[in-house]
Amino acid sequence: MGRILSIAFDDSAAGCVLRLEGEIDITCSAELKRMLIEAIASGKEVQVDLAPASDLDVTAVQLLWAASREAEKAGASFAVSGGVPENIGRAVCEAGFENFPAAMSPKIAQPSSAAAPAETADDRQV
Amino acid sequence: MIDKYKQAFREEAREILLDLESALLDLNENRDDTELVGRVFRALHTIKGSGAMFGFDAIAAFTHNIENAFDQIRNGRLRATPELIGLSLAAVDQIKAMLEEASGHDSGSAATTAQILEKLRGLTGASEAPVMPTPAAAVTGAPVLAGTTHDWHICFRPGADLLRTGANPLLLLRELRQLGTLQVKADTSAIPAFGEMDPERCYLAWDMVLTTPAGADAIRDVFIFVEDSCELAVEPAPSSSQGTGAAPTTPPEKRVGEGRRSSDKEAQASSIRVAAAKLDQLVDLVGQLVTVQARLIEVAARREDRDMQAVAEEIEALTTELRETSMGMRTLPLRSTFERFKRLVYDLNRNLHKEVELACDGGDTELDKTVIDQLNDPLMHLIRNSMDHGIEAPEVRRAAGKAAVGTIRLSARHAGAQVLISISDDGKGIDREAVRARAIEKGLVAADTRLSESEIFSFILAPGFSTAREVSDVSGRGVGMDVVRRNVEALRGSIEIASQPGAGSTVTLRLPLTLAIIDGLLVRVGEARFVMPLGNTVECVELTRQDIANANGKHLANIRGEIIPYIRLSEYLQMRTERPEREQIMVAETEHGRFGFVVDQVLGDHQTVIKNLGRLYRNVQVVSGATILGDGTVALILDLHRLAQNVIRNSSITPHRQDRASCAQGMR
Repeated sequence: MGRILSIAFDDSAAGCVLRLEGEIDITCSAELKRMLIEAIASGKEVQVDLAPASDLDVTAVQLLWAASREAEKAGASFAVSGGVPENIGRAVCEAGFENFPAAMSPKIAQPSSAAAPAETADDRQV
Repeated sequence: MIDKYKQAFREEAREILLDLESALLDLNENRDDTELVGRVFRALHTIKGSGAMFGFDAIAAFTHNIENAFDQIRNGRLRATPELIGLSLAAVDQIKAMLEEASGHDSGSAATTAQILEKLRGLTGASEAPVMPTPAAAVTGAPVLAGTTHDWHICFRPGADLLRTGANPLLLLRELRQLGTLQVKADTSAIPAFGEMDPERCYLAWDMVLTTPAGADAIRDVFIFVEDSCELAVEPAPSSSQGTGAAPTTPPEKRVGEGRRSSDKEAQASSIRVAAAKLDQLVDLVGQLVTVQARLIEVAARREDRDMQAVAEEIEALTTELRETSMGMRTLPLRSTFERFKRLVYDLNRNLHKEVELACDGGDTELDKTVIDQLNDPLMHLIRNSMDHGIEAPEVRRAAGKAAVGTIRLSARHAGAQVLISISDDGKGIDREAVRARAIEKGLVAADTRLSESEIFSFILAPGFSTAREVSDVSGRGVGMDVVRRNVEALRGSIEIASQPGAGSTVTLRLPLTLAIIDGLLVRVGEARFVMPLGNTVECVELTRQDIANANGKHLANIRGEIIPYIRLSEYLQMRTERPEREQIMVAETEHGRFGFVVDQVLGDHQTVIKNLGRLYRNVQVVSGATILGDGTVALILDLHRLAQNVIRNSSITPHRQDRASCAQGMR
């Protein structure tokens, strides 16, 4: 449940950066969706900065996944910039998404993966 | 938002605790019932799991220990002893107390918690359990489990609303990992186009393969909290890459799991939780609608406008349906109220050193929620009374040739527009003479008054009346029955007491189904209009002057051969009206048999929104309320039982033992 959240929307000529800060969860999912729509609609290169985020929940993961697919369809560039905090990377792997940041880049998340879901994760053990 | 979930958890937990309590009490009677052990375990597991999820860590940690004990019982490593069940009940109380504490972190009750856990350790440790690595292992989740492992294919599809309830599927996957090696594949096929996504809905599903020594039930238990809001399939995986020993021969296990799930689902089939206040508001609005609709009918009739009348009639039909639906929404079965008392009886058995069983009938009987809420206290007092004064100590019972274990029977059934709830015991009964003597001593009645049995017993209901020689913790202060009477009367109900010396006594509460709206029959006496509850009325016949003359002026009517005493309302209410040529008798079923009520004219049925008359009129017995008619005037609602009772009291007859002379005399 989100305590600190800031979705910064930095729109410059080069592209726009979506900065997700704090716990990104269901309490801000509507906001996140709005920002993503705006970012994709701008037609510019979209970069999602997850570095300041402390946690992503399922709503955020599926929104980011769908947004990257949407951008791919529209021929836009959508990528995760900067580093991904280790716990988020692990959580997303645990959720069955392989190599999360890459999966969001259009190159790997092919539209066809909508039908055939993300690859099987490695054996993740706690 | 978090608070909202926490509140939801608290409400849910209270329900689960109630179920847990009743399962524990049932288990106490059938200690080898594995199904009950499973029910207890699942309830504990749910409280632990959802407690942890919503930050009630203290509750989760505490519950975990109890859960472990039941896990051991489930696995046959421990036996469900009365001590353990008693301790678990104490734990249930403790969890309740922790829930009430604002955050669940409060250390105020830490001492009690520690005490319970200490005792629990004593109980579980003492009974043959030398090898017990599991409790600790389950907390830390070390996947080091011995034995052969199987591959399970788990398909987990969260329902659309899963996330909104605050559940976190990722935590569930994490919990699964504690059982063994987990391969997870996220299924994104259900994610719609980005623009169409509901950001709070869960679109993801997971296909997993879990390699674990645990069985299907243990896997399902992970999902227990979300079971109703997801699709879950747990199947042995076709022997895959990891050739781990013998192929799992577990189809029966799977069936057990599925069976449980489907029955749970049925029980909670698509229901939603609505604040009681909203339902009250709905009923209130419907009440207002009914009043306005009556006015519409009236106006339409006055204008002689066909179209308008047609519309008004349609609205009337809809209003009736709406009224019934909204009233129906407020009714609840009495079962859970009854179940609650099992615990009371269990506790009192220990306090009073008695052996009493509580039997319940008619738990399916439904009653308005407001009525149920206000029934708790009266029923509690009555059960306490039965246990303390009614049922004898086991030795005494044996000496009297009765079964050592006494029985208190709670039963409920419908009777017309009323519900009868009775509490009967097979104890020593009420000492009629003692009650009578005490009533005379207290100056409630003159020493030479001739009293019927029910009249004598009704003194028990008088304030401060007690024949108990000793005041015990439980009862005997003479407060209880007075409280019962006041509560029941506040519900517009009545109480009847019957008793047989040596064989027990029965207290019957007669309660109206609803407190807000009833079907009534609108009648006219002179210029005034009254409403009679339709539920009581049987038929309406004409009373001509000839009929009156045939009865020689006595207030008795011959209706198809049956002699029925009647009450002329204009006389009873001392209204100076002219007697019309033809009057009508409404025959109604009362507690005192059939009675006729003579009115000038029956106007028709009327949906009656009951309004209280206010404090000033609370002593007016024959009127149970008032209602506002279509034209804005007020009609009084008659209490036919009371009317009949008053007439009988004045004439000391009942329709069953008729004494024509005194009847006519009394009623004139």
